[in-house]
Amino acid sequence: MQQNPYLPITMKLVKNLVETEDRLINTFTLEFMNKQDEENFKYMPGQFAELSAYGHGEAPFGIATSPTEPGILKFSVAKVGCVSNALHLMEEGTMVGVRGPMGNYYPIEQFKGKNVVIIGGGFAFTTLRSLAKYMLDDKHRGDYGDITVIYGARNPGLLLYKEELAEWENNPNINLVTTIDRPAEGWTKHVGFIPSITEQIAPSSVDTYAVVCGPPAMIKFTLPVLEKLNFPPERIYTSLEMRMKCGLGICGRCNIGTEYVCKDGPVFSMAQLKELPNEY
Amino acid sequence: MNNIINDMRDKARQLLAEGKVDVVIGYEKGSLPLKATPFFAHSPAEVDSLIWDETCENNLATYVAKTPGKKAIVAKGCDSRALAVLLQENQLVRDDLYIIGVSCAGVIDQRKIVAEVGEILEAGINDGKISVKGMAGDKEYLFAEVKDATCQTCRYPNPVLEDVHLGETIAVSQEAPAFADVIALEEKSAGERQDYFKEQMSKCIRCYACRNACPLCYCQECFVDCNSPRWLTGGVNRAENLFFQAGRVLHLAGRCVDCGACTRACPQGVDIRALNRKMTKDVYTMYNHEAGISEDGKPALNEYTTSDPEQFLVKE
Amino acid sequence: MKISKEKFGQAFDALVADYKVIAPVSDGSGIAFTEVKSFSDVKQDYLNSKLPPKAFFFPQHEKLMSYKKEGKDVTVKSELKVENTILFGIRPCDAKGMLLLDKVFKNDQYTDPYYYERREKAVIIGLGCTKIAPTCFCSSFEISPAGSEGSDLFLIDLGDSYEVEVVTEKGKALADRLALAELTADEQALVDKIKSAETPSKIDVSNTTSKLDKMFNSPYWDTLQEKCLGCNVCSFSCPTCHCFDISEEVCKNEGTRVRTWDACMAPLFTLHGSGHNPRDNKKARWRQRLMHKFNYFVHNNGSMSCVGCGRCIKSCPVNMDIRQVVDGANKAELVVE
Repeated sequence: MQQNPYLPITMKLVKNLVETEDRLINTFTLEFMNKQDEENFKYMPGQFAELSAYGHGEAPFGIATSPTEPGILKFSVAKVGCVSNALHLMEEGTMVGVRGPMGNYYPIEQFKGKNVVIIGGGFAFTTLRSLAKYMLDDKHRGDYGDITVIYGARNPGLLLYKEELAEWENNPNINLVTTIDRPAEGWTKHVGFIPSITEQIAPSSVDTYAVVCGPPAMIKFTLPVLEKLNFPPERIYTSLEMRMKCGLGICGRCNIGTEYVCKDGPVFSMAQLKELPNEY
Repeated sequence: MNNIINDMRDKARQLLAEGKVDVVIGYEKGSLPLKATPFFAHSPAEVDSLIWDETCENNLATYVAKTPGKKAIVAKGCDSRALAVLLQENQLVRDDLYIIGVSCAGVIDQRKIVAEVGEILEAGINDGKISVKGMAGDKEYLFAEVKDATCQTCRYPNPVLEDVHLGETIAVSQEAPAFADVIALEEKSAGERQDYFKEQMSKCIRCYACRNACPLCYCQECFVDCNSPRWLTGGVNRAENLFFQAGRVLHLAGRCVDCGACTRACPQGVDIRALNRKMTKDVYTMYNHEAGISEDGKPALNEYTTSDPEQFLVKE
Repeated sequence: MKISKEKFGQAFDALVADYKVIAPVSDGSGIAFTEVKSFSDVKQDYLNSKLPPKAFFFPQHEKLMSYKKEGKDVTVKSELKVENTILFGIRPCDAKGMLLLDKVFKNDQYTDPYYYERREKAVIIGLGCTKIAPTCFCSSFEISPAGSEGSDLFLIDLGDSYEVEVVTEKGKALADRLALAELTADEQALVDKIKSAETPSKIDVSNTTSKLDKMFNSPYWDTLQEKCLGCNVCSFSCPTCHCFDISEEVCKNEGTRVRTWDACMAPLFTLHGSGHNPRDNKKARWRQRLMHKFNYFVHNNGSMSCVGCGRCIKSCPVNMDIRQVVDGANKAELVVE
């Protein structure tokens, strides 16, 4: 972290890729401008950063790359507001600002020696990709048991990271299950909503952690499934979204009870969330 | 006054007991001397808190559209005019509204008193006299001496719209609106006016109490909050503050009922009303229109007739 | 120790050369903390300022950084400017308020340089209250109207002179520039009397935090907020409110990133880009306001984030009185969940 946590470092947008067929999600690849910046930006899967589109403002996004991918950061961003719109329209080669890394991360230390089930829906797959990528890295793969990824979207065109998913299909180190909401031409894999597919796959909860990210409805209906599979709330993790500005736990808007999502989150276990007011 | 209060409580009790309304919006005694505070009675048991006197300064019409269900509201002349404009603009359902009308001789301008006697420790109102014990001294005022500036030019002390009237009505001698205050400002040189508004606008802290107290500022998203496009910055300086205040005045053209709620709400003592009054005078001169004096009709700028003056469009 | 007002005035005028000196000044419609050049400009007989002095460390609108775009390139510059400052005439409630803000702007992970560097370069000269307004209730929070907590140097007005208490090292450095004399026995008695005063208005907050622990789903919030207009007066006039917004002000290729006071009473405060809003109604927002000051802040920082200055009471257009709100919470029946 820099001395002045409000000052972004400058990174170059080297790739602005249309990620989904509805053209609403782009993946931005940013390149560090020097070794020092990269050294200072030590992050873990689950953390986020504040991206500046100069002239438009700043907004927080989860980091989609894993620390095992040097030199760059990737963010997959939906076009919803002023900053994300500006980023979508940005020409490759443009300089953007990055503040971070911010927030806590998935408890990968606790995951060691355990199985991990990653469940993601829609474009909330970004930091889950970071997590999977991190655990799949040669240096780390041995630390973990089975890695299962259940990932779904409305239709095949809305899945993120399609090339990577294709690669994971044939990777014996990971058990990938992809699903879409309704049948589509050429789709030969699962069809159905995440909760029912999770129920079908029925990953064992023995020595296993679950990480769930996705739209609120998906989370709401997936949690009872995990409960039925005997996942205790202490072993189910999720990452929350909130309107944020400073990212430092100061500006006051992202709290849930006593916890600031930017600083004390965004990653929480279900056991932690049960103790917090239902205001997110 | 006491009779009005008793009648008010009886009426409120009856309306709530018979299920005609879900809530009665009125006033109760506030926590500070000479302060009434808006009060929402939900059950007959609560109506005995209702009061009515010269401290009931808030315009309750501001709550009506935001309060769900059927509601009764205690309305002075200016509150009823605001309700009339809201009805003209289809913001309210008349059938969901029961208006308890009261005639109002004006409300007390607390600031005037505090400026003279310091923070008010105790106060009493008796027979049109207000006796005040302040941190810097005691004083007795005639009501007329501390009547709010808005109320001094008020031509509508009686509700223009009501389902029941409590107490007597007040005779109005003034036939046409008087704008002596506006004329005095108009007669100043441009430089003097600029200085005056510079001073006023530099006091604004953009807390938006004026906007939120105004019964007719009901935009879902106020232009000051809009971020794409962003009409003005968060900068708290004369220019930005004037832009906010002037924008608000323009939105209120032909709609402002001159209740003074904005000025009374301002914690900084900005003379917000000076701008609104000028606009009110212009609308009156150009369109012979006074806002919210009956349920029918439309605000001046919501209607077009071929006889509308055009001096603001075409420079001759 | 004490110093005559005349001698203090001379020393004060000498300090103006080395420090930016902020003091209470009458601005026509009340008291405002303003930069002064001479002790003669200082209003000495006042209750408190309309707005809290927090703005000198945390301005309502401040530049964080500026940038310039050239083609695809950008240069970024910090806009942090700090001056040696003296804040004179700070009331004990506001001095305590600054101690509370210190906890916000330096949390377990981050230090806010804009606030902190100004704070570190500022000396607080507190001035005890000899008159207490009816809206003052600082004694509810173990703050004494003539208590020196939070000040570096603390004065009590004794008529022709000030009693002087050196509270911190920073205060000592200033006191070294003052010709101090011993108090007489009579003066000491007067000081003791002033110091033992309490605000007549007090609320009981002894069980408020633990009560609020159980009140998130209480129906109390349903009706509490009905008359609130949802404006920002209470937050802006609060010495401990610290919420802010960050936005950008752009002119062609150049721009600045600024932060501006924001408030939990504003509906947009928590609005997500998606349209979802976790606090989309006034009830949730009022609950947040009260919980933050009397519960969350206590759990996070060990004390309540209200100092009983009474500004929010005085300036609320609809007379929402925080004393009544807390009292109501204390008395609210708990619902069994």
